[in-house]
Amino acid sequence: MTTTAPTTSAGTAAHAARPDALPGRRRRSVRTAERRWGLLLAAPATLHTLIWIGAPILVAIVLSFTAYDIIHAPEFAGLENYATIFTDGLFWLSVLHNVIIAAVGIPVSMFLALVFATMLDRALPGRGAFRVMVFLPHITATVAVAMIWLWIYSPSQSGLMNVVLGLVGIGPLPFLTDPDLALGSVILVTIWQGIGLKMLIYLAAMQGVDDQLYEAADLDGANAVQKFFRITVPMLKPATFFILVTSLISNFQTFDLIYILTEGGPANSTSVVTYRIYQTAFQEFRVGLANAQSVILLLILVVLAFLSRRIVGGSDDD
Amino acid sequence: MTTDLAPGAPDPLAPPHRGRARDRSLRRQKRLSNTLVLAFLIIASLIMAAPFLWMALSSLRDPTELARTPMPLIPRDLRLENYSEALGRAPFATYARNSLILATAAAVLNVVFASACGYALAKLRFRLAPAIFAWMVACIMIPFYATVIPVFLMVRHMPLFGGNTILGAGGTGWIDTWWALIVPGAVSPFMVFLFRQFYVSTPSELIEAARLDGVSEFGIFTRIITPLIRPGLLTVGLLSFEAGWNNFLWPLLVTTSDDLRVIQVGIASFRQEASTDWHLLMAGTTLAAVPMIVLFLIFQRYFVQGFASSGIK
Repeated sequence: MTTTAPTTSAGTAAHAARPDALPGRRRRSVRTAERRWGLLLAAPATLHTLIWIGAPILVAIVLSFTAYDIIHAPEFAGLENYATIFTDGLFWLSVLHNVIIAAVGIPVSMFLALVFATMLDRALPGRGAFRVMVFLPHITATVAVAMIWLWIYSPSQSGLMNVVLGLVGIGPLPFLTDPDLALGSVILVTIWQGIGLKMLIYLAAMQGVDDQLYEAADLDGANAVQKFFRITVPMLKPATFFILVTSLISNFQTFDLIYILTEGGPANSTSVVTYRIYQTAFQEFRVGLANAQSVILLLILVVLAFLSRRIVGGSDDD
Repeated sequence: MTTDLAPGAPDPLAPPHRGRARDRSLRRQKRLSNTLVLAFLIIASLIMAAPFLWMALSSLRDPTELARTPMPLIPRDLRLENYSEALGRAPFATYARNSLILATAAAVLNVVFASACGYALAKLRFRLAPAIFAWMVACIMIPFYATVIPVFLMVRHMPLFGGNTILGAGGTGWIDTWWALIVPGAVSPFMVFLFRQFYVSTPSELIEAARLDGVSEFGIFTRIITPLIRPGLLTVGLLSFEAGWNNFLWPLLVTTSDDLRVIQVGIASFRQEASTDWHLLMAGTTLAAVPMIVLFLIFQRYFVQGFASSGIK
């Protein structure tokens, strides 16, 4: 650790502290050390992701062309699995459910998140407590959340939802056992659980909006509604895009909720892609087919990320 | 910018002498709107929190109340016995211990390995850096659910473990071991990305100065730069802990024995066991939910910072 090098005083270190301020041999050895340590420090995480994310993708692609039941060795099956998926009504029904949950749930929870964020952006007594209450559903495990709602939706007379509806003379309704109601009941939970994170991102974005814009608008006599639509909404466009894309991606990963609440039923009315893949692999043991389904899920998400970039056209990097 | 604010907005060139009166009415308006907002917020956030209140109330309720019609919304008396009964019916203490080990391991491993990689990508120039960074960003986009089956197969066919041959056949590999629970989730590409962001904002001059003083590259990373991003370490640690504690599908797939079952899987299996004993089920659910809620209340600031940049549950 002894060094013969630089004689620059501490005062000018910041200015002189570039490798090219060092004598040639020493500069080279610093660069070599930097290069070596860069690779060394990055290696464990890189290897880990190559093994546990990179390799599994390759394995999934390879196995998607085989017939495999876990017990017997996989056999090459060509495009058979993809042909099966193409005509598999249940798989596409599950995709459709994901799309419906996203199309209904995301706009509603984004709107509510924006309402909460707008109100909680100002100085109010108890602001922190309100934020926590809205955010708690996100921090809680989805399994616990699903258990709570299973109880709330209970068709018995002590199910909270039916108690409340009973007060206005409705019900009791079989929320999770009626094919017409089940998907809606699931969507309500996703909205409730999704508001908190979206509110948080909106709040973070609002802090970045220059207060002078609002002051100038105040001077011009703009009212709260005008300020909201003419200043807040345009300034939040990048945050809105970010929320939309990440919500779409996490929507296609809904699993725990379905597993606990409905197991995809009744009559497959709440089956989603991840749950369908789980059933194919671990209940029907059609592992080759399940891998093909996984590849399709991966493609959907890649296309989604790509399309959203295209459609919104670069507003993600402004 | 301001002139196109609104049709129908008051004329900005209106005579200035009305200023003070308008100020007063503006203030009154503001107070009124604050009151309305507050009222709305109280009602709305109570609705948001209602499911949790209902969980807590139900976990303390006398089971005979559940059968009564109409059921009283507030329990007559609070029965803490529900908790001891739930603990007697299923080994929740073991479940909680397992979740604690899993979550702690995920936090420590992510902090160690992701910080090293994040630092290298942010501060050190080496040939593969851009490629590794692009790879990490691509990995963030790949959902675990799309790779869960091959990862499961890899774990099951881990050579020389669980009775497997060197080719990974014949036994159960890592299934039902701590290896399976901990190793595949030891490094999350998102945490690498997050660490890189934290390290980018540290001053490079400090690194150069330390090099001049002859501090080793490893020493610069561990003793000089990393202490500057303590909030980042805490954020990544907490987010990894939360993900570990709340994880469900992976532990469900790779554990079979009660000894290795984590609390989220424990709750799901307790549901079969207790079927309609909702006072017990809610006691168990409370046990699974409350630790994260408490942790969040204590470290809110760090959680919020991490969540706002992730956007993904």
